[in-house]
Amino acid sequence: MLPSKRLTWGSLGIYALLFLGAVFLFYPFFYMLMNSVKPGPEILNSPNSLPRQLTFSGYRGVFEELNMVRLFRNSLILAISITVLNTFLSSLAAYAIAKIPFPGRDKLFGFMLATMMIPGVLFLIPTYVMIYNLGWVGKFHALIIPSAVSVYNIFLVRQFMTGIPDELLEAARLDGANELLVFLRIVLPLCRPALATVAILSFLGSWNDFLGPLLYLNRPETWTVQLGLYQFKTSIPGENLQELWAATTLITVPLVLVYFFLQDQFMRAFANVSLK
Amino acid sequence: MNETAGKTYLPVAAHGRPARLWELIRRHFWGYLFVAPWVILYTVFGLYPLLLSFYLTFFTYSFVQPENFIFVGLGNWIGGLIDPLFWKSLFNIFYNQSIFIVLKNGLGLLAALLLFKTVRFGKFFRTIYFMPVVVSIVVLMTIGDYIASPNGPLQKMLLSTGILDQAVFWKFNQWLPMPVLAIINTWKWFGMSMVILLAGLYSIDPQLYEAASIDGASGWEQFLNITLPQLRPQLFFLFVVDVINGLQMMTEVFTIGFDVYGGVYNQAITPVLYLYAQAFDRSNMGYASALGLLLALIIALLTVAQFKFFPSESR
Repeated sequence: MLPSKRLTWGSLGIYALLFLGAVFLFYPFFYMLMNSVKPGPEILNSPNSLPRQLTFSGYRGVFEELNMVRLFRNSLILAISITVLNTFLSSLAAYAIAKIPFPGRDKLFGFMLATMMIPGVLFLIPTYVMIYNLGWVGKFHALIIPSAVSVYNIFLVRQFMTGIPDELLEAARLDGANELLVFLRIVLPLCRPALATVAILSFLGSWNDFLGPLLYLNRPETWTVQLGLYQFKTSIPGENLQELWAATTLITVPLVLVYFFLQDQFMRAFANVSLK
Repeated sequence: MNETAGKTYLPVAAHGRPARLWELIRRHFWGYLFVAPWVILYTVFGLYPLLLSFYLTFFTYSFVQPENFIFVGLGNWIGGLIDPLFWKSLFNIFYNQSIFIVLKNGLGLLAALLLFKTVRFGKFFRTIYFMPVVVSIVVLMTIGDYIASPNGPLQKMLLSTGILDQAVFWKFNQWLPMPVLAIINTWKWFGMSMVILLAGLYSIDPQLYEAASIDGASGWEQFLNITLPQLRPQLFFLFVVDVINGLQMMTEVFTIGFDVYGGVYNQAITPVLYLYAQAFDRSNMGYASALGLLLALIIALLTVAQFKFFPSESR
């Protein structure tokens, strides 16, 4: 069961299996890329073979017909606002929970952890009723404000902050810094790895969100990339195939590139584990 | 601030609770200030909606005619319990999840074991395997839709190898949508199981294996008697999270192209999809709320059952 350093027939078999798995895993992305550079009729007639000629008409069409720039802008506005707000407010709360004693703190933290067990489906209807009655439907802040801080992120940052020695904070407090200054000048810079985790989760959560925009962003001017892609796919099925594949590729590639560079942080963020 | 606050005397009893509360807040100003955003936002967008949801289950309430707000008592709850479509959706999600959870964690475990044994290229494979986890559901379902379609590469391959004798329009079949969605979801999520289980494998004490080898235990025996029991915490975590998340699946069904009723035969309807249909297609907010609470109850019961019945030595 232990890894061996020698190259044997057994380990060759393992590599063969792993390689086969990688082919299966990557093929769908290859399929997407391949079809995004084919002309429309060729996608329809031979979707599974390599392109006979390369064309970028799909990509051109995406910018002309789909208003891709606007979709990206909307998604970025949402994702950046949520990431900045959530990272800041969650770590602020995490700092109080980890390092500032106040009456009721442990009870509050216990309550926070308990709220993580509540299935999200329970909030779907009443939150919609509420946001509808507030008149926020169609506006970005309908998505931004409820996501401005989250328990899971508070929890992650708090776990990290408990490792910061108290003496460091005490020294700053004795120099007359108030808690906000201690937080901004000393605690935040020390928490960079945890902040990266939280920022990745917030950004991806918002960027990949489908249900939220579907419910609250009903005007085409406010659509995000995910909603735009879905509407594009369902509005005229079978038509505009080259634009569809080009749009899918454009949405996916920047994300995957960021993932390749920050993969350790991504795995830590999603699976809450760190691997060698 | 804290130093001066420590020296101020407590307000006299005549001032009563408000004064004492004010004093408390003043003394622990920063702590309360820093948790205030969460407390306020969770009260408004968490606790209040939860209460509202429970309250709405006793009424018929529609957006189209908000004036028709009629008390129906337990009507929505009973209606949900005897609604054949709700039961159909529950059947579907259990059908889907039993395939998904086994495939996802089985393949995740297999990949983790293989990666654990490799010395070279481990990071390369890990990167590829985890990639679908970060890509959005809409994108993955768009690709999956075309890959699994009668014209797509998967069916073409199965046809040419003779496993299928004719193209399958799986979306219109009674039994196929749930397994197909489970397979596409496995492709998306098994990397998550792999990473968690791999971290678990690294944390197992190598001496356990050495001792077993000396005793002459075969690889398979070591897997059964050391690896699996040692991975118990990770497996337990994965199963609990998978059940909670999996039973709430809906975006996948929706974005792969089914309508809100899961197709003409409701072949792909799931509980949350049905709840969505009731709320936003039929505008039955009260009924949809009751369905949501019923589903949450089922999830809670299953979670409790897992805590009770999962082999628990090292949880």
